[in-house]
Amino acid sequence: MSPQIALHDPVFRNYFWIVLISLAIAGAVLGFLRFVLKKETASMFKTYWSWILIAGIGFIVVFLGRIPTIVGITLLAIYAFKEFANASGLYRDSWMTGAVYTGIITVGIASLISHPRGEEQGTGWYGFFVAVPAFAIALILLIPILRNRARGELQRISLAIIGFVYIGWMFGHLGFIANARNAYGFICYIIFATGLTDVAAFTFGKIFGRHPLRSEISPNKTWEGALGALGVAMILPWLLRFSFPFFGGWQLILTGLIIGIGGQLGDLSISVIKRDIGTKDMAATIPGHGGILDRIDSLVYAAPLFMYMARYYYPLR
Amino acid sequence: MKKWLYDSVRDVDQAPINRLRRFPREPDMLVYGLRSLGALIIRGLLHIYNHFEIIGHQNLRTNRSLVIVANHCSHIDTLCLLAALPLRKLHRAFPAAASDYFFQSIPRLWAAAILVNALPFARQARVRQSLSLCRELLANPGTILIIFPEGTRSTTGEVGEFKSGIGALIAGRDVAVAPCFIDGSFQAWPKGKRFPRPRKVRLVIGTPRNYCNRGTDKFDICTIAAELRDAVNQLRPANGSR
Repeated sequence: MSPQIALHDPVFRNYFWIVLISLAIAGAVLGFLRFVLKKETASMFKTYWSWILIAGIGFIVVFLGRIPTIVGITLLAIYAFKEFANASGLYRDSWMTGAVYTGIITVGIASLISHPRGEEQGTGWYGFFVAVPAFAIALILLIPILRNRARGELQRISLAIIGFVYIGWMFGHLGFIANARNAYGFICYIIFATGLTDVAAFTFGKIFGRHPLRSEISPNKTWEGALGALGVAMILPWLLRFSFPFFGGWQLILTGLIIGIGGQLGDLSISVIKRDIGTKDMAATIPGHGGILDRIDSLVYAAPLFMYMARYYYPLR
Repeated sequence: MKKWLYDSVRDVDQAPINRLRRFPREPDMLVYGLRSLGALIIRGLLHIYNHFEIIGHQNLRTNRSLVIVANHCSHIDTLCLLAALPLRKLHRAFPAAASDYFFQSIPRLWAAAILVNALPFARQARVRQSLSLCRELLANPGTILIIFPEGTRSTTGEVGEFKSGIGALIAGRDVAVAPCFIDGSFQAWPKGKRFPRPRKVRLVIGTPRNYCNRGTDKFDICTIAAELRDAVNQLRPANGSR
């Protein structure tokens, strides 16, 4: 991945036009709702402007190449964990948060460097990348021992471990995918497909929504929205098959299931956390979306599953 | 199993920019990291660019709360005083900054809240509230307040009159006050200039004093302010640039 390659890469260029056209269609639909049907769309427009900003920043970062992508994903993970720490109260424990930040940065470094005895440079150190959670959890467990404290430590340990493993490491897989030979296809597809699935769930839920999906977790999600989103996610790999031309039918079905079901499970997992803490959004970083963590929740769950699925059938390099 | 108690930040639903405006600030490892890194860079730059020199370093060695009072000619003053503190005390040091100047525009707010850890001080209205906030902070041992009692940057390089608020803050209270004189900062970065110039800057730190057995009426407060101004002025190096 580099700017020179991105300029001439058909996959990257295709995604640029696909996202541009999708945003234009969405804008047209919103405009139709507002000016022809006179619907109340102010909040939807706020979300829409933020989508445009996210797409712009995302394209610039991926265009700049492998290193900016991995650094960008790492910064995003750091900020998402910060939101989680703020909401869960872990932020008061600067040792624990410091350990998790160290772990997340280590994940980024493991994606950047290559195996010390490997021949090919700039491929990411897969073995270390997969092993980081063991070291990070060892570091987190060391903290209460070092300060000789037990009361209330299990809660801090648990929050730090889920913060690191789920938000830091699992989301970090998106950065590791930047090392793949087919990086543009994988990264653009995952981000575009999870985004579109989220919008599809919202839209189908809004139009057909009758039966609550998980009433105790997220009262606004409906079975109709979830099934509609799953349908979109299952069709999408066939439509965008140019992203991974070497995938067979079985892999395309798995891709659809991972994005369609995994993405929504990621959404619900963050909802479980928010519901137990008692906040509506993790933060108010992106207007119309909530926090960074509310935006990337589906990616966190789906990206590692997708990477391991793809890696099982085809070597990443 | 009992339910876990989550102690969320108070402003979880606030946009990040509004959270920067809030004071007292919540502990934040990212901000601490950025601030420490920024402090190291600023110290290096001050030494290289302004040949920064500190006289009387031992006068700041205390674990109790401390008020640092200094003359004010440029933005460099705050950076100089922060550079005289050990890094571990950085996050407990609060330079009082005009809330109307530093807490409105976003770049200034960013610098004031993250790099400098400034305390928003209302200069015109609600001075009393700002002073009582300062008193609350000083009640925790180890707090360092940095105050420029002139209330604004001097446009001539001379030390102006001290506002009486500084007297009201410390009269009758057992809190150490260290007068400081910053020499050369007016030449280095006068008010209205866009960029600092490579002139020598020297910080002289005087012996801390205490006003715990003074009254709190109007006359005493004004006397304390005048005394402090003299103390600061006496620290001016004899051969210093004027």
